[in-house]
Amino acid sequence: MKLVVVSAGLSVPSSTRLLADRLAAAVDRQTPVDIRVVELRDLAVEIAHNFTNGFPGRALAEALDAVTEADGLIVVTPVFSASYSGLFKSFFDVLDKDALAGKPVLIAATGGSARHSLVLDHALRPLFSYLRAVVVPTGVYAASEDWGAEGLPERIDRGAGELVRLMGAGTAPETAVVPEPDGSPPKSAGPDREARADGGSTRGGAVTRSHGFQVIPFEDQLAALDG
Amino acid sequence: MQFGIFSVGDVTMDPTTGRTPSERERIKAMVAIALKAEEVGLDVFATGEHHNPPFVPSSPTTMLGYIAARTERLILSTSTTLITTNDPVKIAEDFAMLQQLADGRVDLMMGRGNTGPVYPWFGQDIRQGINLAIENYALLHRLWREDVVDWEGRFRTPLQGFTSTPRPLDGVPPFVWHGSIRSPEIAEQAAYYGDGFFHNNIFWPADHTKRMVELYRERYAHYGHGTAEQAIVGLGGQVFMRKNSQDAVREFRPYFDNAPVYGHGPSLEDFTDQTPLTVGSPQQVIEKTLAFREYAGDYQRQLFLMDHAGLPLKTVLEQLDMLGEQVVPVLREEFAKNRPANVPDAPTHQSLLAAGEARKVAEEVSEEVDVA
Repeated sequence: MKLVVVSAGLSVPSSTRLLADRLAAAVDRQTPVDIRVVELRDLAVEIAHNFTNGFPGRALAEALDAVTEADGLIVVTPVFSASYSGLFKSFFDVLDKDALAGKPVLIAATGGSARHSLVLDHALRPLFSYLRAVVVPTGVYAASEDWGAEGLPERIDRGAGELVRLMGAGTAPETAVVPEPDGSPPKSAGPDREARADGGSTRGGAVTRSHGFQVIPFEDQLAALDG
Repeated sequence: MQFGIFSVGDVTMDPTTGRTPSERERIKAMVAIALKAEEVGLDVFATGEHHNPPFVPSSPTTMLGYIAARTERLILSTSTTLITTNDPVKIAEDFAMLQQLADGRVDLMMGRGNTGPVYPWFGQDIRQGINLAIENYALLHRLWREDVVDWEGRFRTPLQGFTSTPRPLDGVPPFVWHGSIRSPEIAEQAAYYGDGFFHNNIFWPADHTKRMVELYRERYAHYGHGTAEQAIVGLGGQVFMRKNSQDAVREFRPYFDNAPVYGHGPSLEDFTDQTPLTVGSPQQVIEKTLAFREYAGDYQRQLFLMDHAGLPLKTVLEQLDMLGEQVVPVLREEFAKNRPANVPDAPTHQSLLAAGEARKVAEEVSEEVDVA
């Protein structure tokens, strides 16, 4: 199974990355996974250019693909100005909005003190709910003091265990839907489209995949307008 | 293979002089550029359609009709015609009129438009973009092929006993391209009708263009219009040339750095590395353009963007001289090499007319055989 870890830490070494690695190791202890770490720091310039160009550079495209294809995701951000960092948000802004649909995600954050720990539930959880990810119940927040206190390893193991159980359930669906440049929903061919994807077509057409795109036969697109 | 240029029609300040042309100047410049295209031996001039500043071409058939009167050979086209927010009835009428006036030297490219407010300004909803493109084009397709149309749809008032006039020249509708950058639905639409598919790849990495074109080719074959290799593909391109590539880079950089589309974003070097943009010598332009075939297959139409980002008219005309004299002749020769004989050229009015007559003869023969 593929586990992708997105870390938005900026310093080297970074406590955000440290937490990310501890979470990934905890998952790996419970079930062997292929771990891929995406360091957003290394992608910062390409992420900014994605906003101005409209397409990702090579390294960013590869990271976005890895996230899209992951069976599970661990996301870790430092707390900046009472929320996730701008870089962290920007990465998920350039990710296809359907890429995380149904994907198990463990959210985590680091901060200088415990006063910001609700950032997990007030900022990260709504973001990933919007992206239709399945966020595990336990989020892991690590303040500086936690690295020398009791409780953090247990929370790490609990969150990791919850993620492992969801990854095992195989909830990650096929994704890679092409977004519309105009912001229109890419799924606009009618409410029966999902049924047809399962082979339940009444018109003889079938949604197929080709070259990474979802193809709806033209007759079906046309017929959906008559409904 | 056809070579030409497409213009966005932006009114942009020249960053090296601080001067912004008037709308009139820009409109006249577009005409001068089109006339130059014919003069230097290019095949196609296409204008964009926009309904917001800083763009001038809101009325493409007016401009193209004027250019038609002043040219002999040039094919007049669009990049793109908004199939979402224009009334398909008016598109049918306007382009049939243009086609009659231009003696058939007309085709057009359908596009959805990605400027959000244009939809409500024309009474439409951007969330229906794909559906509008599908329904409106289905109607347009019929209006050019059936003399009397009864029609009812979701987005437009119904038609009873409607005849779009003038009828297409010689009964042959203008050839249609469908332009899309990332919507597989549009590649599918183009394939379904056996129309052309234009991938405006100028801001996109090759891998993405390759996948979109392959999808269109595969579906074109699926719908029985020919083999995948015979599908009608067009690509964009964007070049700035000087004899020495360093001079080209030095001269173009301020335009690149301040261009409305990508200015203040990526570096010129990154952009030329990752997209079809070529800034360099004519030889570099030739090499990069020839490489398009490696990922798009043998294709039919190559359009270059030459006149944007505030480049002065004089410079653009110099660029077109170089394009026509030093680049396109070599491209014609090289693209013809190893091109399979069964890969067709882009359809023209003459070729469509001939194909239609051949089909009619074949049908008559088969009817006679049936009678006998």
